[in-house]
Amino acid sequence: MAIDNVTDLVGERGDSETWKVEEGKVREFAVALGFDDPRCLDLEAARAAGLDGLLAPPTFAMASTFWMRGTAPLRKAEFDRKRVLHGEQEFVCHKPLVSGMVLEGVPEIVDVRQKEGKRGGMMTFVTTEIVWREKDSGDPVVSTSSTILETAPAK
Amino acid sequence: MNAPCFEDVAIGDTGPAFTTKPLTRTDFVRYAGASGDFNPMHHDETFAQKAGRPTVFGHGMYTAGVCSRAVAGWVGIENVRSFGCRFVAQVWPDDVLSVTQTVAEKDKIDAGNLVGLDIAVTNQNGEVVMTAKSQVVLPSRA
Repeated sequence: MAIDNVTDLVGERGDSETWKVEEGKVREFAVALGFDDPRCLDLEAARAAGLDGLLAPPTFAMASTFWMRGTAPLRKAEFDRKRVLHGEQEFVCHKPLVSGMVLEGVPEIVDVRQKEGKRGGMMTFVTTEIVWREKDSGDPVVSTSSTILETAPAK
Repeated sequence: MNAPCFEDVAIGDTGPAFTTKPLTRTDFVRYAGASGDFNPMHHDETFAQKAGRPTVFGHGMYTAGVCSRAVAGWVGIENVRSFGCRFVAQVWPDDVLSVTQTVAEKDKIDAGNLVGLDIAVTNQNGEVVMTAKSQVVLPSRA
């Protein structure tokens, strides 16, 4: 961590992101994880089940993160990339996430914690949250919470 | 999907057995493409070895996604209300993962038919590689 007071990062927000949930991406993600639920793979089956598009697997919102174009607030933490790990990840599903949806969300740092590492030195945990809402209605669809940690520097 | 009925599950019940095939580097690469996570540690053998690893290892979110497939296979994707996981150890090529899901809570929260699952993902040596918690809503018996 290059900055003095890491807790100052709480409340730090990134740019608003628009995420169009594409049918091919949902299918690709489902296939990569071995899902065989026809509602994830076949538009006819999804429609027969009363859905407007292919049903996304529970962790699909992760596929939004890596395509974001704006500045991620986490960048301000100035982590040493060689010591960064993905610690925890949570998804809260408000309604089914289906292809064709256009979502908007703003990444925000909601928590910063530090604790002594097992081998001495400070470990830093930063939690970033995004509430993805439907662009038209403003209804929340899925919230993601991602905790990234920087391990203590090697001695 | 044939989700179990809320009335038919009790605390301590476990979901159906779930075990993967031995994982391959291709599985990790396919997930990299699907998710957009191209951290070279997960596909570039030379890079991983320079960083002191024996070989590439899987994305934590690959394990999480496979684990979510086990949960969805038991209760149905549409019934999953939350899924949260903690990464414990790395997952390597040729690892075989098993997912154990246990009913830990039933209707403690003031919402209809809510069930809390405690989940562990273990490798072929019985080591826990990821733990997870999931809140699911189960249909009432007709």
